[in-house]
Amino acid sequence: MARETFFALRQEIARIEGTLPERLELPADKVGDGSDRHFLPTRAVRLDAVLGGGLPRAALTEIHGRQSRDAGSVAGFALALAALARKQAAAPSPILWISTGEVLHEGGQPYAPGLLHRFALQPSDLLLASARKTEDALWIAEEAAGLSALSAVLLEVRGTSARLDLTATRRLHHRTRATGRPLYLLRQSAAPEPTAAPVRLIVSPAPAGERHTLFGPLAGSLGPPAFTVTVSRSRTSIPATLTLEWNRDEHSFRERQAGSTGRAQDSGAVVSLSSGRTHSAGSSGPGMAQRKRA
Amino acid sequence: MHPQVEIVEADPEADARLLGALADWCDRYTPLVAMSGNDGLFLDITGCAHLFGGEEAMLKDVVTRLAEQGFRALASLASTPGMAWAGARFLDGIRVAQGGEREALSPLPLPALRLDGPICERLESVGLRTIGMVMAAPRAPLARRYGAHLLLRLDQALGGVEEAISPRLPVPTLGVERHLIEPVSATHDIERLVLSLAETLKADLERRGEGARALELVLFRVDGLVFRLRLGVSRPLRDPPTIQRLFREKLAVSKIDADFGFEMVRLAALATSAFRDDQTSLTGRNENAEEDLAQFADRICARLGGSAIVQPRLVASHLPERAVSFTPFRATSAAVRKVRSEPFPLIERPIRLLARPEPVEVAAAEIPEGAPASFRWRRVFYRVARAEGPERIAPEWWLDKPDAPTRDYFRIEDEEGRRYWLFRQGLYGATPELPRWYMHGLFA
Repeated sequence: MARETFFALRQEIARIEGTLPERLELPADKVGDGSDRHFLPTRAVRLDAVLGGGLPRAALTEIHGRQSRDAGSVAGFALALAALARKQAAAPSPILWISTGEVLHEGGQPYAPGLLHRFALQPSDLLLASARKTEDALWIAEEAAGLSALSAVLLEVRGTSARLDLTATRRLHHRTRATGRPLYLLRQSAAPEPTAAPVRLIVSPAPAGERHTLFGPLAGSLGPPAFTVTVSRSRTSIPATLTLEWNRDEHSFRERQAGSTGRAQDSGAVVSLSSGRTHSAGSSGPGMAQRKRA
Repeated sequence: MHPQVEIVEADPEADARLLGALADWCDRYTPLVAMSGNDGLFLDITGCAHLFGGEEAMLKDVVTRLAEQGFRALASLASTPGMAWAGARFLDGIRVAQGGEREALSPLPLPALRLDGPICERLESVGLRTIGMVMAAPRAPLARRYGAHLLLRLDQALGGVEEAISPRLPVPTLGVERHLIEPVSATHDIERLVLSLAETLKADLERRGEGARALELVLFRVDGLVFRLRLGVSRPLRDPPTIQRLFREKLAVSKIDADFGFEMVRLAALATSAFRDDQTSLTGRNENAEEDLAQFADRICARLGGSAIVQPRLVASHLPERAVSFTPFRATSAAVRKVRSEPFPLIERPIRLLARPEPVEVAAAEIPEGAPASFRWRRVFYRVARAEGPERIAPEWWLDKPDAPTRDYFRIEDEEGRRYWLFRQGLYGATPELPRWYMHGLFA
């Protein structure tokens, strides 16, 4: 109880002073032990380090896009996070994607075959909600924030809105914290405003990686999608900009190193090139299978 | 013509609207209200009269209340629609007990049988001026000379032939209502009433082993205006607090003008289906979560309309815009979802699809069948860095016109790394004009 009072007072002071110390609050004994319970590791080492262990599992996370034509990248990045959260949830449940009519008109409808292909999200795992006005979308999000039957909620709005102020986002954040799963606030073509989200990422597109074939990367091809992510606000307050690539087979992010001219190598196993060798696999085939079973 | 006579154009549509509103109002007496031509209403009050203190009192109540609203209504009550029709028009205020039809009809003129003018004239020309005279005449010659319709109307009025009236609104499966001595107007009072009505409704639903799939709240305003709020739910429902919560959302967005208040409130289950009684469980956290989700979806739909929350469903079609349909949310359990998993697609598709393909200006493609080098979309110029394609998608000849153009889709990345899905409609050289380019989607 005393903690609650203390927290409320600190908020009040922050509001008067105009600074916003809202950070992801963790129980004191859990800070720094790196447990997965509070964080959703993205598997991109540097991003996880900058965020202090990963994205918060039960919090409001703001994801910004600078321009409305970045809608594909911003939604793609958020969906990748949602797909990660869904995969790591104890009981996989649907993902709710709330958008305003304006966003759908500008950026297009969510397209189920693409989501299935890119993020392995089944159509039945998706719930799409749309509202004509921002306040209705916010209302849906608030109703959804208290539900534990969803594995992630995406709220997508466009531009700056007086409705999405500090109070509204704080309410969203607190409701989300109670249910223990993430809520991603996607803001298309909006300038950063003060909100209660402990983490804010700014996402812009980055050139895609190259397709991998048996003969190595295929020049000029469009492979795994990439995103330039700027951490503008986090628990550790370390500013960082990284380029992340989404690997749909491994269902994870990996950072693209600056040295490798924007073309990451896939470290996954690649079938070796065929060459003039004697054929020897025939006899040992069944034996190997048996050994594996034993 | 008298100089002070006010001349008003006849407005049959407004009259029909007014009669419809009156029929709505009459819903307070019985759910079975039917229109009778363009100037009357049939009320089937079978089993309803005792709620209003008997037939005589009910008839008086209808006429008095209509008079209070400024309508002079002719009314009568009988055990057949034909007799009631005749009674209302020729013997205002009469109540004809069963078996008394013959006596009541005898002195009435022929139009009281709901007959057309020509038949009446022909009957009158042979001296049959009242219904009693027609009844006394032998049936066979009557039928031969004037058609079966005359006898049908006669039998319907006398009760020999059953006549059903067709109610103008679907009759709810179950309904509970409350008459209020003091009209209510505050929203929270209405919500409280909904809760108590829902509790009564729950008992009825339990007895039938059912839950409601569609509910209607009917509010009767003191001055005769009737408001109807309808909502559908994603799974059979009987829990009163949930019903109250759904109507709270509905009431919040409905434009209901309480004015002087509502004197009667009715809650009806329009559709029901079998209700599965779940054990509210020892381990069933998952089951609860499903229930929560269904309730959440119902609340959204109650407030923002039925299409506010949808689920995509894949459709077997090559055309991108036909490959997905949206269905309203229906509660399904995790097990069902697992069974219905779609196979993993091999071809790449964008994650967002524009509502309709948007035209794109392309100056020139590098090679005739290749991707463009640059394009202009929504008045912004884009230079293409990399492109993959084409993926040719032919029109569906079994649905479209036979000469519909094919589309060649390209995945395109601009210099900043945004990825788009562009297509060229038609082929170079196939038509005199150049093929057009369209933007259809955005990749991650």
